[in-house]
Amino acid sequence: MAEHTVTSFDDDLAHISRLVGAMADLAGTMVGDATRALIESDTGLAQRVVSDDVVMDARQRELDNRAITLIAKRQPMADDLRAVVGAIRMAGDLERIGDLAKNIAKRVGAVGQGSMSRDLSHSIDAMAQLVLIQVKGVVEEYSAGDTAALARLRNDDERIDVKYTSVFRELLTYMMEDPRNITACTHLLFCAKNLERIGDHVTNIAENAYYVLTGEQLPAARPKTDETAMPAPAA
Amino acid sequence: MLSNEIITADVINAATPKTKIEVKNLNFYYGESKALKDITLSLPERSVTAFIGPSGCGKSTLLRVFNRIYELYPKQRADGEVLLDGTNILDRSQDLNLLRTKIGMVFQKPTPFPMSIYENIAFGIRLYEKLTKAEMDERVEQALKRAALWTEVKDKLDASGTSLSGGQQQRLCIARTVAVKPEVILLDEPCSALDPLSTARIEELIDELQADYTIVIVTHNMQQAARVSAQTAFMYLGELIEFDKTEKIFTAPSEKRTQDYITGRFG
Repeated sequence: MAEHTVTSFDDDLAHISRLVGAMADLAGTMVGDATRALIESDTGLAQRVVSDDVVMDARQRELDNRAITLIAKRQPMADDLRAVVGAIRMAGDLERIGDLAKNIAKRVGAVGQGSMSRDLSHSIDAMAQLVLIQVKGVVEEYSAGDTAALARLRNDDERIDVKYTSVFRELLTYMMEDPRNITACTHLLFCAKNLERIGDHVTNIAENAYYVLTGEQLPAARPKTDETAMPAPAA
Repeated sequence: MLSNEIITADVINAATPKTKIEVKNLNFYYGESKALKDITLSLPERSVTAFIGPSGCGKSTLLRVFNRIYELYPKQRADGEVLLDGTNILDRSQDLNLLRTKIGMVFQKPTPFPMSIYENIAFGIRLYEKLTKAEMDERVEQALKRAALWTEVKDKLDASGTSLSGGQQQRLCIARTVAVKPEVILLDEPCSALDPLSTARIEELIDELQADYTIVIVTHNMQQAARVSAQTAFMYLGELIEFDKTEKIFTAPSEKRTQDYITGRFG
């Protein structure tokens, strides 16, 4: 894309783009750290995720301010307009991902008290890895401008949903086996739900990125399977 | 339920937009140089169409073809067709005076006649209609009200039109145009010499007038085009590059040249 006649316009847009990138990197780190803290019962690492969220919030505020100032000053049009509005939306989703990662981190202490916690945490490790790939992938594909990959990535959220359903059932089984697992498993259920929600925010980001790049919305229908609302299998 | 109804209404509106002006393969020449190249587009009735593009792209030329005002100058000519309600206005048999009552024009610089505010409006009407004093008073008042100028000038209708502020003068010119009951109003950068408040008043006026008139506006102000028009044509070097719904042009244009122009990346 050619440069703007007013070069400071390019600088403003580039700065907003960098802030989105920084927030995305931080979101990836937070999700990764929160999961690792959970799997390894590492309360120190969990604490870091909590403090990272303060940075995340500050970056979102800065991005909002800059984006609103840019709209007021430049009245962006077409792809510029989509980029700025898209950045505001993506920042919202990334900030929520940070919140959910923080919520996982806050539960590390509670889960860690149970003796079987490590085995139990393991069941959501695979799910966390899927989520992490999605979080990192969405930013890479957006930077690369790969719209086909973004459309695929959005549909890949289905895998997380499937995994979530199986984690849900697994944790339920542990609780039925031994009521002493209930405290840890309940917290892990929330962690799994948080990961599933992070996947949904990644989906939003992918849809947004697709719109920013193409000016067209992805079709509304997306495969969606959350079977946890169904009655549990008979014990 | 509600959303269904809205969608239905949209579909109906979209399905039956009556064409007011249809331009077919229009070329325009200033002497030897070709200023418009094979322009084809349809302007829907009772709707605002904006022409945008860099200086010299031909947008004002296209506007000037619609009421054949170019014929005031030698060596300017057009070929192709411009159909107003199906009649080719470029045809030699076209009565120019009649055409210009149907298609009114407002220029970039306000051009009030050097006469009273009242006479500015009445002058045009008298050319075509014989009215009693009472009827004329009524028409002048209507036109000034239509142009949202009445409350500001009703106590000084005998004052000279040129004594008004720039924004008021421009609204006076719009009132003068509306007074002869045209079908189409051409606006050639009507706000470029006006302050933001006067501009807002004119835009408000355009919003109201489109219920009764087909409006074509040429503007350098992209935000203005985005605000007031339903469809926008982007022109460049005498060619029509893109013509689409305004919201499409300003959020996701199809042509790279349109995109470069409206985002400020041109040249």
